[in-house]
Amino acid sequence: MSTILTYVAIADGKVKRSSLEVLSHCKRLADSAGFSCEAVIIDENASTFTSDVSKYGASKIYTVSGSAFANHQNGSLIKALTTTIKQSSPKVVAFASTESTKDVLGALAANIGAGVVADVSSFELDGDNVKAQRPMMAAKIMGNVDVTGDKILVSVRSGSYDLNEHAVDSEIIELEAHVSESDLRSTLKEIISSTGDTIDLNEADAIVAAGRGVKDEEAKALITELASVLNAGIGASRALTESGVYDPSLQIGQTGKVVSPQLYIAVGISGAIQHVAGMSNSKVIVAINKDADAPIFEVADYGIVGDLYKILPPFIEEIKKIKN
Amino acid sequence: MVPDVYAPFQIKDGELIMDGDRMVLNAYDASAIEEALVLTEKYGGEVAVVCVGASKASETIRKALAMGASKGFHIQLNGDEKYDSKSYASILAAFFKDQQYDVLAFGKQSQDSDSGLTGGMVAQLLDLPYSTNAVGLDISESALIVKRQGDTGQEMIELPTPCLVTCSNDMNEPRIPNLKGIMASKRKPIEGISIADLDVDDSALNPSTKVTSYAPVPARTAGQMFEGEPEEIATKVAQLLDTQANAI
Repeated sequence: MSTILTYVAIADGKVKRSSLEVLSHCKRLADSAGFSCEAVIIDENASTFTSDVSKYGASKIYTVSGSAFANHQNGSLIKALTTTIKQSSPKVVAFASTESTKDVLGALAANIGAGVVADVSSFELDGDNVKAQRPMMAAKIMGNVDVTGDKILVSVRSGSYDLNEHAVDSEIIELEAHVSESDLRSTLKEIISSTGDTIDLNEADAIVAAGRGVKDEEAKALITELASVLNAGIGASRALTESGVYDPSLQIGQTGKVVSPQLYIAVGISGAIQHVAGMSNSKVIVAINKDADAPIFEVADYGIVGDLYKILPPFIEEIKKIKN
Repeated sequence: MVPDVYAPFQIKDGELIMDGDRMVLNAYDASAIEEALVLTEKYGGEVAVVCVGASKASETIRKALAMGASKGFHIQLNGDEKYDSKSYASILAAFFKDQQYDVLAFGKQSQDSDSGLTGGMVAQLLDLPYSTNAVGLDISESALIVKRQGDTGQEMIELPTPCLVTCSNDMNEPRIPNLKGIMASKRKPIEGISIADLDVDDSALNPSTKVTSYAPVPARTAGQMFEGEPEEIATKVAQLLDTQANAI
């Protein structure tokens, strides 16, 4: 029986939702095609997450544990993945498309001689191949891609698929991956966490994004308050991360994060194509901008033309009322 | 060299129709070149550039030379090859195998396909330590120090040389060549290389992906615009988000 293996990532002591979205889709594909649906967790405490993963239909869950996996490093991650792939012998290995995945995907494909397609918005099995759809040209068009290979790697944009619980009894297989000096090659010297406890934007249900219109502390405070009442992550356009108003980890766009939350509120963002490429797939888009001609209004479901200092306070008040 | 993503295009019967003359230096590669120049200006050394492409690619190489790179290599294609990341990585690995270098710098992705795979593939094929999505580079005791942008923060990574790094365009503003640089670039050498000169076999060149067709991005239904009294419209939209969109 062929196998689809999903890489389930861990961050902040939790299973990443973007991985479970991919697993949910892979479970569906596996059931349709008569494939085995499997998963792999690679983390310092990998075994503590198996019960969360069982809920999403992986009949076999490989765990690779150890201090070598306490922080992200491409050498150790690739070693753990190749070890798992040797055991599982999957036809397809699927990942959520995060920065960690991007750090290993190309090298892993070359390592095992696999076909690979990155950052897809959807994919299906097609005989021995994979058919995928992915945004191209700054997300202005969709490309339909056929992928071939004895093994095929796929990374999926977060928010492309919904979570779908399908609890099964999973066989847990603990694997050893000895990460040696020669596997590591690079040294992780320091981790500079982004300010405060920012939500990983690929995991957020809602995002409030700040653009150039957010010029001072008062505006920033309004952004923070709106995000807080919505339990949303805070994102920013490139202009604001470049000027240091917000940490680069919060940048949304072709260069930064590509997100597709349920709700995206763009505040003072004009809507340049590189920014839109990073959020155009959000389910509901609200835009607040003084300029009625701002291109962001072309993608917004609800466009509010107005001054953010005058719009946000009553907007926040009304949302608070609704939530109570 | 990549198509200009700002240029107009059409999709007709699944084919992408664009002006073949609107090609530009990939913005991420420009940042890689810029940072390489900054490092060699600070620590000594030189910057060489290589581009895989049809004849027009020589213009892109010339631009890099005008920025300050000292020599260029043009691995020549016909222009009708349907190469993908795997093909390009195999070509580049075969080329670099015979080259001397301390650091191979790549843009982290190309502006047209945004796959971000080639750099990592080349690192693997050449067995080089590597890092990706660099937002800062420095050299310390012959190691490359990379500031990498991760999912929720940055990491400082030390790579022994020779090594490979893929660069974000958040790292710097690439310099615009001045007249002096442009004049100087005309005297700098560009070595032409054909695929046949390189030790790369057909199976490696064979792409594993094929774009079978293009389609327009599914259009979003037109949104509603609200103008007028701020308190009124703000309240209205908040209510609609609840009752109509079910988003709060």
